[in-house]
Amino acid sequence: MNDGSHAPSRQPATAALPAAAARIASFSFHGDAGQTLRNVQLSALPGTLTAVLGGSGSGKTTFGKLLAGWLRAGHSGVLRGSLALGADRVEFHGNSNDPRINPAAWSGRAGYVPQDAGAMLSSVRSTVAEELAFGLENRGVPRVEMIRQAARTAERTGLSGLMGRNPAQLSGGELRRLAVACAVIAEPGVLVLDEPLASLDAAGAAQLRNLVDGLLDAGTAVVLLSQRADALARSAGHWIVLDGGTVTAEGPPAEVEEGAAFSDAGIVAEGRGAASPGTRPAPAAPAAPVLELRGVGFGYGTTTRTTKRSAGTARPAPVLHNLNLTVRPGEIVAVTGPNGAGKSTLLRHLNGLLQPQTGEVLLAGKSIAGIPTGRVACTVGLLFQQPRDQLFERTVLREVGFGLRRLAGGETAAGRALEALAAVGLADAAQTHPAELPSSKQRLLALATVLARTPAVLALDEPTVGLDRYGIERLQHAVAAAAARGAGIVLVTHDLAYARATAHRVLALDGGSLREI
Amino acid sequence: MPSTLHPLTSLTAAGCTAVITTAAGLWPLSVAVALAAALLAVGAGVGRRVLAAAVAVLVPLGLSLLMLHGLFFPEGRTVLAAWGPARVTAEGLSFALEAGTRTGACVLVLLLFSFTVSAPDLVAALAARGLPPQVGFVLASALTLLPAMTGRLAAIRAAQEARGLVVGRGLLSRLAAVRLQAVPLVLGLVEDAGVRAQALEARSFGTPGPRTSYRQLQDSPGQRVFRAAAVLLTAAAVALRLITAWPVAP
Repeated sequence: MNDGSHAPSRQPATAALPAAAARIASFSFHGDAGQTLRNVQLSALPGTLTAVLGGSGSGKTTFGKLLAGWLRAGHSGVLRGSLALGADRVEFHGNSNDPRINPAAWSGRAGYVPQDAGAMLSSVRSTVAEELAFGLENRGVPRVEMIRQAARTAERTGLSGLMGRNPAQLSGGELRRLAVACAVIAEPGVLVLDEPLASLDAAGAAQLRNLVDGLLDAGTAVVLLSQRADALARSAGHWIVLDGGTVTAEGPPAEVEEGAAFSDAGIVAEGRGAASPGTRPAPAAPAAPVLELRGVGFGYGTTTRTTKRSAGTARPAPVLHNLNLTVRPGEIVAVTGPNGAGKSTLLRHLNGLLQPQTGEVLLAGKSIAGIPTGRVACTVGLLFQQPRDQLFERTVLREVGFGLRRLAGGETAAGRALEALAAVGLADAAQTHPAELPSSKQRLLALATVLARTPAVLALDEPTVGLDRYGIERLQHAVAAAAARGAGIVLVTHDLAYARATAHRVLALDGGSLREI
Repeated sequence: MPSTLHPLTSLTAAGCTAVITTAAGLWPLSVAVALAAALLAVGAGVGRRVLAAAVAVLVPLGLSLLMLHGLFFPEGRTVLAAWGPARVTAEGLSFALEAGTRTGACVLVLLLFSFTVSAPDLVAALAARGLPPQVGFVLASALTLLPAMTGRLAAIRAAQEARGLVVGRGLLSRLAAVRLQAVPLVLGLVEDAGVRAQALEARSFGTPGPRTSYRQLQDSPGQRVFRAAAVLLTAAAVALRLITAWPVAP
């Protein structure tokens, strides 16, 4: 891929000069007593992929944002160390005389794409093309040049066919590519990608992988921040393992992966057997089903639900069609399928948040038609994808206790809440405010709120997304324990390996109905 | 359906109509303007939304006007009915009718504008005329905030119902639900704003200096003439109103 503006940095004379280098002796946020980062160093050469791996709360995002100027010394916290882009080096001593970084100028040379790709967008532009051009407009780039650059970036990122679309209606994978495009349109020498594959299906991941390969070919240094050692991370030339805000191992992937620091850091090692046994014994003697879906059909029709629609076409094809499912006590059923296949729509039928247009949903043999979700919730616990929308209390303990008293009575409620917190490893955080937890712990807290209600049916929507290895182990234990006490479990995931390792049966949602795979 | 007019043309038309209706202060004109706005809204396919919003604004306002002026109008002479200190007077009712229809006309016209204008077009048009980009951003965010908040509220409510929240029909039950939903909504919006601010800075939003625009708007000489004429006509209406209403010195 031709990349004129990068040519100077790729000339032989400067070839050995890293596109970006960071030496962080320490960084602490204002008002925070502890250091978020200490002794972290990175040097990324043009055209190379470097992976910064670590579990939840290890400091990866803070490091990435510092490198790309999203967090600034003095403005966001106290930094001691240095940052360099090409030949320009800035030294920080943690005092008021430190130089100030101009975020606009800096980000033109070091791009950052946050984990929540939607946060990258201005949100006030109504087409993909305009969103792409937003940064160029602010820099006063002439319109003709702007159109040319937007078209070229769209081509590099596979967005050419989507230029007229509203960014709010893109699929997860398309949105991620748009966020990357918004960062690379300024032709930065280094690009930091924060968990770029999280919640993408195989097709979305493959497209992003192509995009990264294209950037590397063009001479961009790419820094990947991830808690999963996935295929993309494995293609990196250099790994840096972060744990507790500091580097505990670094070097070539094969070497790092063998070390103790790698397994201690809570990184999810994809492609190495999962922690649980590969095959699960089927539940004991077939009992009466706890959950049954008979001939369920559903389509969003003409109502404008834009949140969860497959973004391909506006044609209101039915999402679910003559779908049948039977779950018996103690059985774990995994439903897989690409983004937009209707997996979340299916789960929302289990507790009555959505009502089937044809067919019926039965819990322990009784139809739930017409029963409010709040009542079905006594029997069905549903874990949503986005933890932030699920947490609303002042403390972690109150959060788990919400609605429990009415369900179980005072004494039992308190005991169950603590038990559920212990099950997800949050017993020590009982008095913390939920918003102060790192996102992976927020997800575990949301899981605890479901577990505490000991529902007869557990419905889990992409439960592994955003969890590090420790989190996934907690999840697996919780799911196994729930199955052991006789709950029926339906979990929806795009991660086939996880589905196979966890479930008794794996089903694919395809063309609106389920088939065994 | 967004309007095909230049956003400044529809803004001028709406603003001038509201000002002229207020300056004229004639209830038949107000009623005619309100009807015309309602018909245009129906024609543009936003009739239901405009009328629903208008009802939400105007019903409480109309009731309070009736209460205040219908019952307690100090200048009222023609007493139609009286209960203690409250007197229904013909003058009070006529004042309430006047004020009510005038406000109704203005509200309908402005709602018609806000439901038919394309927010990105309006912001681009204002930016091209020197509106600071920060103000334009706030304006555009305000216009897009409501749909975004509605979507998120629905998600929060679904999550709470899934945890056993049953929202009853009673006021207390609804208020309790509002409190529960407000906390994650506001926390989410604040968190979003923090990350978005970093993203905007990284995309040179805070950079001073000239800006360009990707979006190009279609304007026509006819629309420019219309805008100038509307502004002149409005100025004349206001001047006329001031002259006729000014108390003449004895």
